[in-house]
Amino acid sequence: MSHIGNNPDAIVIGAGIVGACSALSLTNAGLKVMIIDRGTVASGTTGAGEGNILVSDKDPGPELTLALRSRDLWFEMQEDVGDTFELEAKGGVVVARNDDSKLMALAKVQSANGVTAQVVNSKELHQLEPYLHPEISSGVFYPQDAQCQPMLAAAKIIQTVIARGGSLVSQSKVLGFDIKDGAVIGVNTTTGKYSAPIVINAAGTWAGEIAALAGSNLPVAPRRGFILVTEPAPQYIFHKVYDSDYVANVASSDADLQTSTVVEGTRSGTILIGASRERVGFDGSMNYEILRRLAQQAVSLFPVLRDVQLLRAYRGFRPYAPDHLPLIGEDYAIRGLWHSAGHEGAGIGLAPGSAALITDSILGRNSFMDATPFSPKRFAGVSV
Amino acid sequence: MIAIIGAGPAGLAAAKVAAESNSEVIVLDSAPRPGGQYWRHRDYVQGYKSHRASGYLDSIIGSKNVTYIHGAQVWSATRGKGAITLNYLHEGSEKSITVEKLILTTGAYDRSLPFAGWELPGSMTPGAAQALLKGHGVIGGKKILVSGTGPFLLPVAVGLAEAGADVLGIIEAHSPLRWLRSPIALILNPQKALELLYYLRKIRKYSLKVYFGSAVIGFNGSKAILSKVKSNLESKGKVTEIECDVVAAGWGFNPDVTLGGILGCNQKVDRDGTVIFSVDSEQRSSQQNIWIAGEATGIGGADLALAEGEIAARSALNDSIPLSLKFKRFRLRLFATALQRSYPVGNGWQGWIKPETKICRCEEVSHSEICQSVTELSAQDSRTSKLFTRAGMGLCQGRVCSRNVSEIIAGENGCKVTDQERISYSNRPIAAPISLGVLADGINSQ
Amino acid sequence: MSKFAEREVTFTFNGETFKGVEGQSIAAALMATGVRELRKTRFDGKPRLIFCGIGICFDCVVVIDGVANQRACLVEISDGAKIESQK
Repeated sequence: MSHIGNNPDAIVIGAGIVGACSALSLTNAGLKVMIIDRGTVASGTTGAGEGNILVSDKDPGPELTLALRSRDLWFEMQEDVGDTFELEAKGGVVVARNDDSKLMALAKVQSANGVTAQVVNSKELHQLEPYLHPEISSGVFYPQDAQCQPMLAAAKIIQTVIARGGSLVSQSKVLGFDIKDGAVIGVNTTTGKYSAPIVINAAGTWAGEIAALAGSNLPVAPRRGFILVTEPAPQYIFHKVYDSDYVANVASSDADLQTSTVVEGTRSGTILIGASRERVGFDGSMNYEILRRLAQQAVSLFPVLRDVQLLRAYRGFRPYAPDHLPLIGEDYAIRGLWHSAGHEGAGIGLAPGSAALITDSILGRNSFMDATPFSPKRFAGVSV
Repeated sequence: MIAIIGAGPAGLAAAKVAAESNSEVIVLDSAPRPGGQYWRHRDYVQGYKSHRASGYLDSIIGSKNVTYIHGAQVWSATRGKGAITLNYLHEGSEKSITVEKLILTTGAYDRSLPFAGWELPGSMTPGAAQALLKGHGVIGGKKILVSGTGPFLLPVAVGLAEAGADVLGIIEAHSPLRWLRSPIALILNPQKALELLYYLRKIRKYSLKVYFGSAVIGFNGSKAILSKVKSNLESKGKVTEIECDVVAAGWGFNPDVTLGGILGCNQKVDRDGTVIFSVDSEQRSSQQNIWIAGEATGIGGADLALAEGEIAARSALNDSIPLSLKFKRFRLRLFATALQRSYPVGNGWQGWIKPETKICRCEEVSHSEICQSVTELSAQDSRTSKLFTRAGMGLCQGRVCSRNVSEIIAGENGCKVTDQERISYSNRPIAAPISLGVLADGINSQ
Repeated sequence: MSKFAEREVTFTFNGETFKGVEGQSIAAALMATGVRELRKTRFDGKPRLIFCGIGICFDCVVVIDGVANQRACLVEISDGAKIESQK
């Protein structure tokens, strides 16, 4: 086993967006950071996402506070890293097909909690989205909703970490932890043994397995989702457009399949269509009936999509925590082991805020919010 | 019921056996006419033993128990208990059929290597030149160069010459002397010598020039740059220019493994780097009741495909397989191995391309962009590079470029493409594009 | 297989009238008259014709009667079809 000479101050496990942002935040606080990943940059859930940076789908509470701060941090990080990551405040449009009372009520409480939520009438709605089904007449516009290219972002952020003295070790799978007197002192991996007094578990959907290697319990489970990708098409969709059911599905704990319509265009001209949610473990098989359901919902929202060809579909596994709140904070049993995982489908959006919280906690600084609601300690004693 | 996917030589051979039995058989083929890529056919276009095709075609078209559906594109498939369901697009809607047994003969398509100017009009595959001619009676240009490697260049060049095209030359990267490395394959396949003789006679008849040890490494729409190449395809630096408006360049074939991949049939990497299916002595795949025959089990040409198709059908029908047929397949496979040895495609082509040469034709991703994804964004495999650069994400879904992208990335990282990566880039969950409206409308049962 | 009936088919490409033989693909019918460009690429605006000729590469995509991304090498010409280049 090799031993790297220049020992890092902190090791981040996971080169996805959460790991990348954590590494950058710690680096900017003056720490020397090593990122390790069993694959390569963004080879897990980050590479299977749409790059959502949303405030529209969140109820008031700690997650919304985190999301709002995180969204601003995305734009600050863009300056810091000196790359756009295709970050764009494209805005979100949430539509209600039938009863819009829940959507309107949500918009109202969101507005009272720092979200810009503009209720639009039918005419305004169709000005925002001219190809929307003519019978859909009620919606809310969320100008703060943004999107980035998450893989590009993770890669550029990690490049910046490296340029500032950090390092990346790819194809390095964690085999176990070195723990002394209840505190972590290093990590054993397939590429060697690395020592550091601080280890951050940012392994996303696989964070539970990493925690288990340290003898800890982190209840993160995969929640599978499919995304349809179309051929390049003319610009039919101008914002991220979704059905108000989406909010309810995101917040649901049901293990069964749920689908809600999320449609958006990308810079390359392809259209992305989601979103399905089901808890089926790490089952990677294709389910054509889910694809069909997603297509049905998309064409019912945008009839113009009927003639657009589906080119491919892919699936990803969202890191699901039982109470839908991310796990951010120190492990309840092992000192020096920190977790930042379980962001479910919001990892891209919440990554910079989570990184700031964890850095502030590690350094004992005051942060922009109280991190207690996210503490992994809330699951101490709960079995997965 | 038995379904046969594909109506090329392997599919037709399987269908012919099935037609002679009493089983109910359905043949689904994506093309408007049967014959596959090799036997696409117009009466006035002749080739070596091309009359053989008609015997097979008659047997499926005239048979009572064979239903032949052309223009049927299978886009997805699923396996259930003792049954396989195929979802296909036909006449603008989606249809579905459930069968007990499946014979996959999905064939192959030309492998292309990028070179400076390969994106320009006039640069095409030999398969394209042949399809234009045989399928549509059109010669693709005025002055044609046929380039690349392998015996398939001969029927293309000869066919074009016979149709009256001005074929300026056959540019073969390798020396024919490489065949001396495979004496047993030659001795066991004397009929191949006859085929060669047939083409040599035609080459003389039409005074076609053959350049060995050369390749087209550049093209500007009206001129091709010809270079002497080493056996790994590296340019030796000695170049000449030839005025032409078509370069038909082909570097072997990529088997189409998509559908079998969707159905979970085990794949492996052949010695030439192509991804093929693992099959047993009766062409059975790793999945129960799925047989695979033809190019998708290893590139070997029409004769081997015919033998494999017949064996697959006999096995599916629980018929005995004559030893002579198995021996035929054995000697033709030896020949196929000799082909791979005689016409290898090394990585020297990476020296032909310029930084601005588009490697991914669909998304217009250049060689320099792919290299940057490695040096600046730490991409280590084609999947990662693809997500950064969009190479392989376009309409063709990487069917043309993904193998080349992988080779470039491996080269930049100083390693070899892993088998796992080759299998990964050769597979995709949707076998053919389907419009969202058709998908949403659901299955239109027959 | 019987020989094609050589029936003439008339269609338009970018507003211009073309004739071809029934059973021919759009790409073949156009190339027979000397057409060397079916479309321009989306990003660089470079001309493209056919490449693989058998429906694999999608290089030859055109708009047929308003529907985009149709492969000119596969779709056969039909009387009155309105074919346009796509960008």
